[in-house]
Parts: sequence; structure tokens; C-alpha cells
Amino acid sequence: MKNHEILLMLAIVAVWAVLAAVYAFVPSLGMPGYVRVWGGGALLFLLLAAVLALAGQGRSAGETPRS
Amino acid sequence: MDIIPQDAPVAAAPGRTAHGLTVRIRTLPRPDKALLNLLFGAALLALVLGLAGGLLTALARAGALRFYSDDAYRLLTLHGVSVFFYWLYLIQAALLLALAAAENGRGLALRPAAWAGAALMLTGFAVSEWISATGTPLLYDGSPELAVDDPRSVGVFALGYLLLAAGLAASAASGIATLLQPRRRGETEEFGAVGFALFAWAGFLIVSAIAATNAFLPGLLWALGAGPFPADHGTEWHILFHNLHYLPLMATVLVWYVLTEHLTGVTSIHGARLSKIVFAAYLVFVPPTSLYHMFLEPTLSDGVRVVGSLLSLFVSVPTLAAFAIIVSSLEASARAHGATGFLGWMRGLPWSNPAMANMGWAVVNMMAGLTFAFVLIQGDLAPMLSDTFFVPGYFHLFAVGVLTQTFLAALMVMLPALNGGPLWRPALLARMPALVTAGLFLFAAAGIAAGTMGVPRRVFDIGYGGLAPAAWPVLMALVGIGASLFAAALSVSVYGVVRTLLSGRKAPATDLTAVAWRVEPSRIGTAPAWTGPVSIAALVAAMYVFTIAAFQLIQSLPIAAIGGGHGH
Repeated sequence: MKNHEILLMLAIVAVWAVLAAVYAFVPSLGMPGYVRVWGGGALLFLLLAAVLALAGQGRSAGETPRS
Repeated sequence: MDIIPQDAPVAAAPGRTAHGLTVRIRTLPRPDKALLNLLFGAALLALVLGLAGGLLTALARAGALRFYSDDAYRLLTLHGVSVFFYWLYLIQAALLLALAAAENGRGLALRPAAWAGAALMLTGFAVSEWISATGTPLLYDGSPELAVDDPRSVGVFALGYLLLAAGLAASAASGIATLLQPRRRGETEEFGAVGFALFAWAGFLIVSAIAATNAFLPGLLWALGAGPFPADHGTEWHILFHNLHYLPLMATVLVWYVLTEHLTGVTSIHGARLSKIVFAAYLVFVPPTSLYHMFLEPTLSDGVRVVGSLLSLFVSVPTLAAFAIIVSSLEASARAHGATGFLGWMRGLPWSNPAMANMGWAVVNMMAGLTFAFVLIQGDLAPMLSDTFFVPGYFHLFAVGVLTQTFLAALMVMLPALNGGPLWRPALLARMPALVTAGLFLFAAAGIAAGTMGVPRRVFDIGYGGLAPAAWPVLMALVGIGASLFAAALSVSVYGVVRTLLSGRKAPATDLTAVAWRVEPSRIGTAPAWTGPVSIAALVAAMYVFTIAAFQLIQSLPIAAIGGGHGH
């Protein structure tokens, strides 16, 4: 099932988002760049997970897989 | 000792031959082949420039050559910029596009994005080389603090990396679109292990582009008078640098997966799903393991230092897991064919194929490099070692021994398929990785010993008015000899690949030696496959031994370390 691929992408999103939140809400760490990079990465992998889901929907609405 | 004949015919798996990679590359559309040739050629040019700069730098550190201070730092800058950024990232962009196009089977999607990405990266390459040759030498991290009175150099240097980042993002977008095409055509509903790894790797390339923008855009804005001085460059660089540790390693392991199937017909005996989990683990572990780069900050609290030390232990988990999957799959398949001997099964691998030789020796370099990486990243040792020659001593095992040899192995398989010519003198090329490794081990052993005894990094005159320890020049001379040996052998490999790239269709391409080890799943597991787990156990044992040795040696020296700002 393709769902495990989406779940793996969402696991990445969760870890990156948590780390971005830690750096965002603990100002004493003093590293706002980490918020931008890990947060931006979390959004990117969320987008990729959505793309995977949509690509699967497009197929299921169309033809049957050949392999 | 029984081994498997090396000249056995290559197995043909259902719907996919063991030479499927080369067949698919051979049948790519002409515009895609032109783009890949352009990127492979530019990457090799960067490697040649970096190799030349690196050899001159090593000879200067060994005392065999003398340069004025500015010239020495300019050489070091050209070396780092060329190899660490443009060789490693041009080749990664090219490999991503090549492997994605091969997975798709019909060439690249979003081809204009791929070409725009190449144009941006090549423009960045030209800009970076030009400013490195003519501006204030900023070393490869482009620290603005080195050119407070020269904003032009800071701005142009930052512009080069920003163009590279934009190009990587555009190339990765094309790669992602290409990988999704079979789904959109309804030909498949999920990726194979390699397809998923490529998809995740492409995302990681885009994140690294974000990190590069985060690190270098402030410098460009400052140079243009549109922003404040980038006082936090060191911290922002750490984030980018952390990503740049993982990115090429993930690419390397992915290339090992692809080449293992190509050279032996073996895919993971553990199934594609576990491989996908391992590749996803690269991305899961990236952010949590980033703290150890901050160990050099004297103000870092003890609590954060302890947490960072614990998390850093996970840094190589994905690479070791992938290594274990590949090795156990190979060994189990070999034993199912009747191979015997604790390590004797490896003799059946197609070592006369230079791609196999490069990949095999890359694994040896990885084990040695990981051992010393673990020594370095420990909280109590990092402040004492990170500004010493220990760092270049161990990381060349990765940069040259693992990454460069692996990517050259990929080129040795792909270029003949891409252009239709034969690989240049494969018998000679197959001998080079052992020589490269011998030179690297001498370079690393002497460099690590020198670093542990206090030889500073990035300092060309280490005489200190005759007060330096007598062992320092001896060890640095050995560093120069090792560098000369691995540079000479690597130059032969690079020359062979360049000749292959430029050979056109002057002679028919022939497939080099491979073996057919793929077996039915029911035959797997009839004999235990211990090499992978035992190798990892040996790595952990070596890490303990060298950590204890480093602590004891350092504690015997009359020095104290309190952290020194930015090490890498």
C-alpha cells in the first residue's frame, strides 16, 4: 500500500515540526535559523506527503495500475 | 574455499534485467542525455579544480611548498568551494536526475526546470570560482567576519552559493515530478525502495537549498546595503553544514543500493518497505542530531551539551542500517549459491569491475571514517579537537574515500550507457581505489595523530618560532605523502571517467563484469549471514578504543580547552 509512504513522510514532518517548535518557543536557545530551516523543511515534506496522496487519488480515479 | 564464478551470466529478473539501469539510461531522450553530460562534465571540472587545490594545500601544510599567507588561504578556499560544494552538489543533482529519469523510463519531467537548475548552478560555479580567485579568501564557509571591510567579496561569494541553492531546488523539483510520472500514468501505485529514496533525497536537497539561503542571503543583503552585518553567520552555517553531512551520505547509500543491484542482481532480502523506512530515517534523524555542531560554543549550557551528546549517537544509525541491509542481502544470496568462508563469500563479487572496486573500498573508508567521527563529536573531545588537523585528517576518509569514490563508481556505470562508448581502461581503474585508500589511510593516520597532539587546522606556518613539538613536522610530512598518493591515484580514476565522458561513440560499449546472485526467497537464510552485524560490532569496539586512546593522549598533554567559536 502506498499509505506507508505517506506515513513515513508524515513522520518526518512531525519530527521536524517539533524541533522547529522547540527552537521557536525556547528563546534561550537563541537559534532562530533552526526555526526557519526545520520549519520550512516540515512544510516542504508536508507538501510532498500531500503530493503523494493526490498522485494516488489521481490514479485511483483513472485507470488500474499495470504493475 | 568455494566462491562464485565472476563470469556467471547476469540474472534477468521479471520485468527488469540486472542491466536495467544501463538500458534505461541508454534509451533516455537526447535532450536529457545532453543535460546529464553537461552536469557530469561540470561536476568533474569542479573535482579536478578541487583536487589540484587540495594537493597544493597538503604540500604546503607538509612544508614542501611555501605560499604567502593570502595565497595559501586562497588555495584552501578554492579547494573547499570546488570540492565540498560544486563537485558534491553538481554530481548529486546530476545523479538525482539520471536515476529519476531511469526510474521513470521515459526521461525527465519538468525539463525546463532541470535546464534552469543547471544554468543556475553553473552560473553559481563560475561566480564562486571567480570571487574565490580574486576576492578576499573567505574559506568555504564564507564567513563575513573575515572581510568586514570588503562587502563586495562577501556579497559575490554569497551570491555564488545562492545560485547553487536555487539550481539545486529547481533540479530537485524536476526530479520529484519525474518520479511521480509513473503514478500519474497509472503504471504503479507505490515507489520501489530506490524511487522512494530518490523522492526523499530530492526533498532533502530542497531543504538544503533553504538552509543555504538562510545562511548566505544575509551576507548578500549586507553587501548591497539592504541589511545588517550577518553577525550570526556561524550559527546559520552550522545548520547548513549539518544538512551537508547527511545529504551526500544519503546519496552514497542510495548509489550503493542501485549499483549493488546492477553489479550482482541482488535487491534487499528484507523487502522494499524496510529500505524505505531506513531512507526516511535519514530525514527523521537530521534535526535531532544537529546539536553537536554547537559543542564549540563556550556559552552552551551543560544540559544542552548532555542532550546533544546523547542525540549525536544516532547520527550514523541510518547509514549503518542501510549498510547492514546491503551486506546481509549480498551475503545471504551468496551463501544461497553455496559460497563459504566467513569473509570468503566476498571474493565472488566482481572486483575486476572498477565500479565494484570503488564501492567496496568506499565501505572500508566509511568504517574508518565513522570510527573517528564518533570520537570527534563527543562533548568533551569536540572543543579540544575541532580546531586541529584531526578534522581534515578524518573527514577526507568520507569526502574522498566514501563520497567521491562512490560517485565515480556511479559514473563508471552510467557514462558508457549515456554516450555509447566503453569505459576507459577498466583493468587499470579497478586498481586505483586500493591505492586511493592506502594514501588516505596514511593521510588520516598522520593527520589524526597530529591533530590529537595539537597541530592546528588552517594554519600554514606551524613552526611557532622553533617552539613547536618535534613530532609535528614529521607527522605533517606524512600527511603530504599520503595526500600525494591518494591524489595521484584519484587523478587516474578521474582521468578515466573524463576520457569516457568525452569518448563519444568511437567504440561499442561493453558491459563489464557482474555476477548473478539473485535467488528465490525460499533459498535465503539456509546459512547465517554475519558479516554486516559483526562489522558494526567491530566499528563500535574500534570507536571505544580510539576514544579511550584520544582521551588518554590529550590528558597527558599540558593543554586546556574552553571552546573556540566555530570549528568546521
